[in-house]
Amino acid sequence: MAMPLLQVIDQRTYFETGRGLLRAVDGVDFELHQGRTLGVVGESGCGKTVLARSIMGLLPSNTRVGEGSRIIFDGRDLGALDEKSLRALRGSEIAMIFQDPMTSLNPVLTVGKQIGETLIRHHGLSRHAARGRAVELLRDVGIPQPEVRVDQYPHQLSGGMRQRVAIAIALSCQPRLLIADEPTTALDVTVQADILDLLRRQQIERDMSMILITHDMGVVAGRSDEVAVMYAGRIVEWAETPELFRNTRMPYTAALLNSIPRVDDPPHRRIDAIAGRPPDLIHPPKGCLFAPRCGHVEQRCRRHSPPLQLASDGTHAQACWFPQSVGTTP
Amino acid sequence: MRYILRRLRRLCIVMFAVTLLTFLLVNVLPGDIAYDIAGQDASEEDVQAIREDLGLNRPVLVRYISWLSGVFVGDWGASFRTGEPVLEAITSRFPVSLELMLFAQLLALLLAVPLGVVSAYRAGSRLDRGIAAAGFAAVSMPAFMVAILLILLFSMYLSVLPATGYEPISEGLWANLRGMILPALSIALAEWTILMRTLRAEMIGVLQEDYIALARAKGMADWHILVVHALRPSSFTLITLMGLQVGNLIGGSIIIESIFGIPGVGRLLINAIYARDFIVIQGCVTFIAIAYVLANFLVDMAYALLDPRIRVSAQHG
Amino acid sequence: MVDGTYDETPEAEADGQAEAIAAHRRRNRLGPIFWIPLVWIVFVVLLAVLAPSLGLQDPADIDFLALQAPPNEDHVLGTDVLGRDILARIVYGARVSLTVGVAAPLIGLVLGLMIGIMAGYYRGWTDEIVGTAIDTWLAVPGLVILLLFSVIFGGSLPTVCIGLGLLFIPAAARITRATTMNFANREFVLAARAMGASDLRILALEIFPNIVWPLVAYILIAIPIAVVIEGALSFLGLSVASPTPSWGGMIAEGREHLEETPHISLIPTAVMFVTVLSFNLVGDTVRRRLADLRDRAI
Repeated sequence: MAMPLLQVIDQRTYFETGRGLLRAVDGVDFELHQGRTLGVVGESGCGKTVLARSIMGLLPSNTRVGEGSRIIFDGRDLGALDEKSLRALRGSEIAMIFQDPMTSLNPVLTVGKQIGETLIRHHGLSRHAARGRAVELLRDVGIPQPEVRVDQYPHQLSGGMRQRVAIAIALSCQPRLLIADEPTTALDVTVQADILDLLRRQQIERDMSMILITHDMGVVAGRSDEVAVMYAGRIVEWAETPELFRNTRMPYTAALLNSIPRVDDPPHRRIDAIAGRPPDLIHPPKGCLFAPRCGHVEQRCRRHSPPLQLASDGTHAQACWFPQSVGTTP
Repeated sequence: MRYILRRLRRLCIVMFAVTLLTFLLVNVLPGDIAYDIAGQDASEEDVQAIREDLGLNRPVLVRYISWLSGVFVGDWGASFRTGEPVLEAITSRFPVSLELMLFAQLLALLLAVPLGVVSAYRAGSRLDRGIAAAGFAAVSMPAFMVAILLILLFSMYLSVLPATGYEPISEGLWANLRGMILPALSIALAEWTILMRTLRAEMIGVLQEDYIALARAKGMADWHILVVHALRPSSFTLITLMGLQVGNLIGGSIIIESIFGIPGVGRLLINAIYARDFIVIQGCVTFIAIAYVLANFLVDMAYALLDPRIRVSAQHG
Repeated sequence: MVDGTYDETPEAEADGQAEAIAAHRRRNRLGPIFWIPLVWIVFVVLLAVLAPSLGLQDPADIDFLALQAPPNEDHVLGTDVLGRDILARIVYGARVSLTVGVAAPLIGLVLGLMIGIMAGYYRGWTDEIVGTAIDTWLAVPGLVILLLFSVIFGGSLPTVCIGLGLLFIPAAARITRATTMNFANREFVLAARAMGASDLRILALEIFPNIVWPLVAYILIAIPIAVVIEGALSFLGLSVASPTPSWGGMIAEGREHLEETPHISLIPTAVMFVTVLSFNLVGDTVRRRLADLRDRAI
């Protein structure tokens, strides 16, 4: 098999806080191949956004990254690169889409400028050429009247349109890896599917790799090739998407599956189907971190933390002492 | 539009109140200018004649109304001392004051913006603390103090810039600016801190915004992010503040003009105060109030120009 | 609920809290940046209060044999243009600066408080009138108002205090108005009103205690400002009448002789700068403390 485009090895991202070290990402390993989409699913606060920012190298100054942590992109160890080379990589080879298009676009710059500046920066285009390319990109992401929209400011566009603009920015330099962090959470339900389908279509057309981060199992269903489920800073289950849905092993994953929002739910509904709250990541308890909330908990779960184990056929991994085959089909 | 009209109405009430109060204060209270003008040896009749001449024997309110109606047609009265028409005296000196204030504000911004941006970018660093300390020192030093120190340093020890003496622009731009550097710098050094602190605080907030994170995710260079993405959204409060600071600028220029012997409105006012030339005082205060209120109005307009959110809603509304 | 079985160790939690408290203490320790200025302020205040009993020379006494003398045995800080002892004048000048510095903000605060509390509590037309009045007040730069005031009423300590005090009214009134409006509809005020308390009682007992802290914070900013403005006014010769010494006046008097005898201007400049800086530094620290306290209370 070809070398993976992205390898994340034992990623640990901790934050120094007034109360102590917060283990936001605590030993994550995965690989992602060219042209594939990985769905990363978990409750809010499980470390998925921090994981995304760790890959981008955009972490606040109170961050401590683990000694053995490596992020290898296209054969290059990103941790070993200097800030200048990282900047050259960001936006051109690795691009990112943020959760809330209301806040992720600059309110005082026109849409065209915000798309064009990446092209000027990374591809050395002239202002004029960048603007022309911005119009094409806006057309690609399905914005009507792109030559008018290109000179407008973000507040003149609807939420869905703004997210399309954010996608156009991300796609502008033909990145090889696209990280979409909850790209539809802040949007109206009616446009969510459009945006997700647009992302999937662009990913396939451009043969990019994509990491699709979400708290909603329904988002990754049918729009990803494989899924990693995160809990308390770790991956607790991983499998090819159809396999995961068919053959769920972790009680936590099953709970997430049960909490997929339905069309008749009000928008922005939070996951509340899982009882209890996520553990304290500064002073984590002993044993499996999900144990206090697990319906199938046994003595062993409270004493020892289960490692992520790959099943013998190599298509499914889980961090659970007593994997189930719950078989919840939504 | 409705908002502008409401503001204009309030503005009119305010201007009316300002002029009336000034007039009452200046005219009712002690000191009879007629005695001053007539001199010590004058007889009671002479004084009476002068009063008659100046219209001082009419009731205050009548005098106010005649003065006010004069104001609208450009007759602001004439100095009791020199006979110079007040409006002309002010308008001929105003450009000098305006130049001083604009120059001072420009210098203050030249100091405040880069330092504010740097200290927001490196918040908490040694550099940031150093800038904050310099700021504390500067706010503790009023303009007249700065002026003394600058004169001592640049005019006496280094002998590179003049301590007094104003050259009109007709003498050449450099001759004019040379005389303005120290006065403007005196005001600027006393005023830049507040601008810097405000910009720093705003910018630290803006740098936390998602769109800054996105700009970084796009691989933009730090300086590009600071200048293109962060500076403009951070500067809205700065502009409001500059409106509020016009008062300080005027106050500063009154003192600085008299220190450096610059023939501006401030010096006109101070001299009128020393000479108790009431009609000139009245004119200067009225003029300053109008200029001040207009400056704040202009600042609001500048605000709208910079923030596309406001600009667009104004076009639609 | 499975929450009960959640076995987070209580010791770990307690450790975390102790750590946090210790960190907070460390951060909050008052450093030399607070103590040194405070000591200076106390020193200046003591000098000013004890001035007559310090055995200083008469600040108005003219030593014809030592005009513009540099610091020497007879005159520790030298003499000014008229041969008056600079040390004595600095100490007596401190009385003016400090009196104005404290009295003016207090006057402004008391008046502003009354106006603001009315506007904020009664709203409606009271508020409208107060708003227009404050706008009028603010339509003329403070220094201009002050100049007018001192021309009309003459330069003496009380008139300077009152005139300068007037300048602090708008800000004090605005702060009070905003805070009053904030509290006027809170439960405890509504409860007091329901129990039949009079407006005056409500204002005095329920609302006033909540306004005090923002105003204390404001007065800390106002003191150095008042000292600076008094300095400017006396620099222009429009504050207390000569021969009463004042720092701004002393700076102005030495101006003509900067070249030969810079100490005449520079000594009062240095003293005034250090004093204003001290007020700013101490005020800043105290203000931050107050804000912290308030944040924690909420």
